[in-house]
Amino acid sequence: MARLTDLPPAVAKRYAELECPSFATTPWADGPPLAERRVAIVSSAGLVVRGEKPFRGRDADYRVIPSETRPDQLMLSHISINLDRSGFQEDWNVVFPLDRLRELAAERVIGSVAATHYSFMGATDPLQMEGYACEVASRLKDDGVDAVLLSPV
Amino acid sequence: MSALGHYLEEEGIPTVAISLIRPQTEKTKPPRALWVPFELGRPFGPPSDAAFQKRVILAALRLLERERGPVVIEDFPEDDPRERPDPEWRPPFAKPDLDGASAARLAAALEDESERVEGAYRRAAKKRERTIVGLSGLSVGEAGRYMAGWLRGQTPESPNAEMSAPLALRFAVDDLKAAYIEAALSGSAKPSSKQLGDWLWNDTAAGAAIFALRSMCLTSDDERLKAIATASSDQF
Repeated sequence: MARLTDLPPAVAKRYAELECPSFATTPWADGPPLAERRVAIVSSAGLVVRGEKPFRGRDADYRVIPSETRPDQLMLSHISINLDRSGFQEDWNVVFPLDRLRELAAERVIGSVAATHYSFMGATDPLQMEGYACEVASRLKDDGVDAVLLSPV
Repeated sequence: MSALGHYLEEEGIPTVAISLIRPQTEKTKPPRALWVPFELGRPFGPPSDAAFQKRVILAALRLLERERGPVVIEDFPEDDPRERPDPEWRPPFAKPDLDGASAARLAAALEDESERVEGAYRRAAKKRERTIVGLSGLSVGEAGRYMAGWLRGQTPESPNAEMSAPLALRFAVDDLKAAYIEAALSGSAKPSSKQLGDWLWNDTAAGAAIFALRSMCLTSDDERLKAIATASSDQF
């Protein structure tokens, strides 16, 4: 469905021509085997824990999602109307697969699940997010995270 | 999303991105990405299918163990089985007759319909012990009435001191849509997102009202309303 050929022509054209940042460098960080890694989710779905401030328009900052968050506490404040929300409504793992990561940790496929996860607003210009992304990187390091699953929406 | 991968990797954090729009990922070149053939909004595939979701996650995480780089983009081979429609699913109520309705009639129909949906939504939320409604702080009926005020050409005050009136309108629309979908998901059938979307946009007063509000925002002198109407069609 997210094949461009499956999208309405106007939407497909916009995505195909959407300006994306290009970078001069191609960084590559290594880590231990998967079974020893601590994994965090970083989402661009505009996720917000109930009671926190939802994303307004194209905010460039981020929201914190503690691992103790329950499915009934997580909302989606992404501005786009082009994405399906019903999958997330039925099962939060469609966007925020915390239950699956916990299972993989229990099965010892991954080492552990991070204490904290993060969410940005995907419709924001990525260049504006750089400072906040560095802040998140620092927080991830403090948590001992050495694997990030980046989840769009 | 791919840009976030770049920034985190530059700080020494290994990342793998799920990619929904492959051309965007090819342009941004994150270190590792798994393209998935799923619809927007479902990066890990079908809801309520833990085994499938786990296959997606593992296919992505295994890219972290690759030694080759600095850019790896792989394709996930399976389609989402939940994209197929469920013939057993039925809309929660019949389509209202609103052909050629004026804004005032549409506003009244929205108020009436949202009041009726509120009961079904509350029952569904109680049964599922979960709801994503709550961005605006309004009940479903209140969200319907707030939107109806805008449809009548008024500029209702924001019901929330921390939100401008246009932002409150956007969140009221988000909450109303979410409540309708949760009410429509309350049975045992497993409708596809297309079935739900077709129903919401084509067969409800809420869908007609949101289309009318979007047109109103696009032609408004208030740049904030225009921004909401245009930005809602963009995403990365």
